Amino acid sequence: MTGQAFFVLTALADGPRHGYGIVGEVAELSQGRVKLKIGSLYGVLDRLAAEGLIEPDREEAHDGRLRRYYRLTRDGRGALAEEAELRAATARVVRARLGLTGPAAAGAAG
Amino acid sequence: MSRDLDLEQRYRRVLRLLPGWYRDRWEEDMAATLLDGWLTGDPEADEHISKAARPEWAEVASVAGLATRLYLGAAGAPRRYFAWGQAIRRAALAVILVHAAAGLDVLVLTAWNRRLFGLPAPPASLVTASPAGAWPTVFHAAGYAWIAVFVMLVLGHYRVARILAALAIVPDLVFLLQGQFTGTLPAPAVGPWAFWVLVNLVPVAAMAAFHRDAPPTARRPWLLALPANYLLVVVPLLVLRATGNSAWLPDFPGLCCILVALACMAHAPRAWSRQADGSGVWSLTLTLLAAVAGAYRIITLSDYLHDPHLIKVSLAELLILAAAAALLAPDAARAQAATPAPPPHLYPDPG
Repeated sequence: MTGQAFFVLTALADGPRHGYGIVGEVAELSQGRVKLKIGSLYGVLDRLAAEGLIEPDREEAHDGRLRRYYRLTRDGRGALAEEAELRAATARVVRARLGLTGPAAAGAAG
Repeated sequence: MSRDLDLEQRYRRVLRLLPGWYRDRWEEDMAATLLDGWLTGDPEADEHISKAARPEWAEVASVAGLATRLYLGAAGAPRRYFAWGQAIRRAALAVILVHAAAGLDVLVLTAWNRRLFGLPAPPASLVTASPAGAWPTVFHAAGYAWIAVFVMLVLGHYRVARILAALAIVPDLVFLLQGQFTGTLPAPAVGPWAFWVLVNLVPVAAMAAFHRDAPPTARRPWLLALPANYLLVVVPLLVLRATGNSAWLPDFPGLCCILVALACMAHAPRAWSRQADGSGVWSLTLTLLAAVAGAYRIITLSDYLHDPHLIKVSLAELLILAAAAALLAPDAARAQAATPAPPPHLYPDPG
């Protein structure tokens, strides 16, 4: 799973969001490191939808335009949890190898 | 509101870069998301923004990138686009394979000339001067770079491959421009320019088809294709040169026509059986390669206007190529409908 897809799925983890809402949430989640442009966002949404990881939730009118909201599917939630676990495990190994202290390193040692 | 449409219209103009089927599904949503990024909800401020704002270059570039990925066979693209994307990727790989085999040829000849690994002295016809000075060294390095480009492309390191390929075609361009301006290129110099454009620039541009949504390349057969190409194409040519039979060798455009024609004929039984899965994409690939080789042959005919015999030989090569490519034309046409369907999509086609 690419970093962008991971962040988009994470942005939808706590509820449905529309396109611009996802862009903002991803920027916040990544502390400004990932700024999704429109081509990248819809490339990711298209792929995630094709893989059955997200689906449309509803459409709402806003200032005369339709905002389409997306939500995670059950498969999407599972894939995100799996990816999060994988990344956390990798981070624990890295921290342990670097000899970093803290709960993550302690968890890895235990 | 009409001023609001100004910015929206500018955005929609950018979105026209995308294929129609994709716009039908996503345009409204994309336009709304883009405008959400600008508009504040304050009518006065929004009116000013709508009038003055222009889509950012980064946004335009991202839409252009998405358009490229969609036209060249991204996941979820209709069969026609997927087939074309696959055919362009394979055709680009095939041309880069020829470059890589040529680089391998230079590498082997250099090693042979330096008698590395205890090799005996090469025959006089294969003796090459060691590169002396900056330019010959650069040309040798560019030749070797194609080997790396090919391997990187097959292994999926697309960005590295693209950068290396872009660098590898620069020395030839500099050489051509220098020759053109100093008059050292023999007039009309059509052949060298045709080579640079069709055999260097076009495949490098076609590498855009190797994007992140493209299906991975089958590594094993393509990696094996490099030594196979060297043994089956380059070595026989070396033998002809080493035995003093260079007169039998066609020129490079002629060689391209013959090789592509042979490949078309070899593939024809599969194409006509209609049972082999995915044969259509190969037919499309070979048709594309035939078009490039044919164009190369036609353009370089002007180099032989002084020699009716060479014109006849070139026309014969062209005829053989056209006949061989015609064998695959029906299968290539079917390929656009026969390629395996892409994954199911979020929204059905309208209507």
